[in-house]
Amino acid sequence: MAIPIPTRHDAAVAEGRGERAFPYLLLLPAAVALVLVSIFPLYMGIQASLTHYVFGRAVGGGGFTNYVNVFADQTFWDAMLLTARYVIVVLILETVLGLGLALLVNRELRFVQFFRMSIIAPMAVAPVAVGVIWRLMYSSDTGAIDPLFVALGQSAPAMLAHPDRAFWALVLVDTWEWTPLLFLLCLAGLQSLPQEPLEAARVDGAGPIRVFFEHTLPLLVPVLAVGVVLRLIDAIGTFDQIFVLTRGGPGTATQLISIYAYNTAFNFNQYGQGAAMLISLFVVVFALMMVVVRLMRRSPAAT
Amino acid sequence: MNGRLSRTLTYAAIAVVVVICLFPFWWMISLSLKQRVDIFAGFTLIPLHPTLDNYTTLFTAHHFGDFLTNSIVVVSLATILSLLIGAPAAYALARFRLSRKINDLGLMTALLVRIVPAILLVVPFYLALAQFGLLNSRLGLILCYTGINTSFVVWMMQSFFAEIPKEIEEAALVDGDTRFSAMRRVIMPLAAPGLAATAIFVVINTYNEFLIALTLTSNPDAQTIPVGISTLIGKTQIDWGPMAAAGVIGVIPVLIFTALAQRQIVRGLTMGAVK
Repeated sequence: MAIPIPTRHDAAVAEGRGERAFPYLLLLPAAVALVLVSIFPLYMGIQASLTHYVFGRAVGGGGFTNYVNVFADQTFWDAMLLTARYVIVVLILETVLGLGLALLVNRELRFVQFFRMSIIAPMAVAPVAVGVIWRLMYSSDTGAIDPLFVALGQSAPAMLAHPDRAFWALVLVDTWEWTPLLFLLCLAGLQSLPQEPLEAARVDGAGPIRVFFEHTLPLLVPVLAVGVVLRLIDAIGTFDQIFVLTRGGPGTATQLISIYAYNTAFNFNQYGQGAAMLISLFVVVFALMMVVVRLMRRSPAAT
Repeated sequence: MNGRLSRTLTYAAIAVVVVICLFPFWWMISLSLKQRVDIFAGFTLIPLHPTLDNYTTLFTAHHFGDFLTNSIVVVSLATILSLLIGAPAAYALARFRLSRKINDLGLMTALLVRIVPAILLVVPFYLALAQFGLLNSRLGLILCYTGINTSFVVWMMQSFFAEIPKEIEEAALVDGDTRFSAMRRVIMPLAAPGLAATAIFVVINTYNEFLIALTLTSNPDAQTIPVGISTLIGKTQIDWGPMAAAGVIGVIPVLIFTALAQRQIVRGLTMGAVK
């Protein structure tokens, strides 16, 4: 009775083990493709950042000259600081609004399908189209924003023509486009929380605000962390809408690092300096990516 | 709090959010249907004398026929190629424990490529394609997009494959299938909904992509719709009607897809955090 009889199943498993190469064959094409869009560009980028270009032509090794020039360039630091300011402001706005909205609708409601459809629209369409939409909204010829202010008895703000306002105009666009993402993440997070501690706190007589800050928020933060850092990385690279709305202007008022690096490389054909800026930016982005990887390892459910 | 009052307030707040999300779209659609004189005639929500002139102008004077063709060719080929390359790899990562943490490494590489901002890739892509004479060509765009999309496909598909019970293909192996035929005959049909969801997401992403196409193309031979839209922004003035119409062409396919496949798109946009 205890004599093991080889079954067809065991044979199949053994044969499966024999086909050692099979999974690697499946992986190979994707591995090649991924190397071509990760390690290869990194190598090309570093190489370009160490090359001296004149009128867009490589004329030999430049050593670290490009980096020295970039770091001595006040405009580069202005663009980096502006990017930091932009990213921090939009992240705070989007997280607070997204969380508020999620708390509001975290209950049984009707019209959920329609609501979700409307709220996904801004982030599903092309960022270039988002730029067009808001260019039309802000325009003093055709816009809806200026008439709104006039109707409220204010003067027309001409958002994109004014350096300070242009920055906030872009923040508004980003918030419109991406609050929905934070909302969806927060809602999913809220719905995944264990209900017992929240119920217990309510039974103990804690008000809704105390329950939120002492119980809901601490449970939610680890769930949200991955999403927030991903949005952060994405926001650092914001380009399309700004290219359509202001191209970094008026002057350099909205020149984020992505716009400045693009202009340096492709308007002035300074590929070396552009590459040096982008490699510097990559160091920052890579650090954030490692944070994402860390956070995902800690909570595998969040992937 | 009074249950009914709070419920009413909730619906009111939702209504406000829906208006804020949708009004800008309506404004663009409305402008795209207005005649030139009406555009400048002041604030009106509905076009008084609706016309399709702005759309015709795009195709007769602004190469939108070419842009559309380029977008269709590039998007469909880059999607098909990335699915062919990415799906088998995702299956391998979801099903096999490979040596030396290859599973982990593969997934992490896919993740990093998936989230790296495009601006970090454009200078290397530009210089590499210049060396091979592939600037301003559909082929160049297809290659770049296939590479990037592969990371999306691997990342999304491996979670779909992981949801399929292992017993199903073990049964197929017992029935005499080889690993390959089990994958092709049993697993791929089961993964079809996931494959469709991934394809939709990749199509939208590729159709929307702007920065890479902007840097790698320079005329209507290869420029895609988003780049075509940006060519309408002149240095000194903008023809608002055609620009609105171009924006509508840019968003319509995506909105249709979104209406048809909300859940899948949400899953893609939130990297799988929301199912």
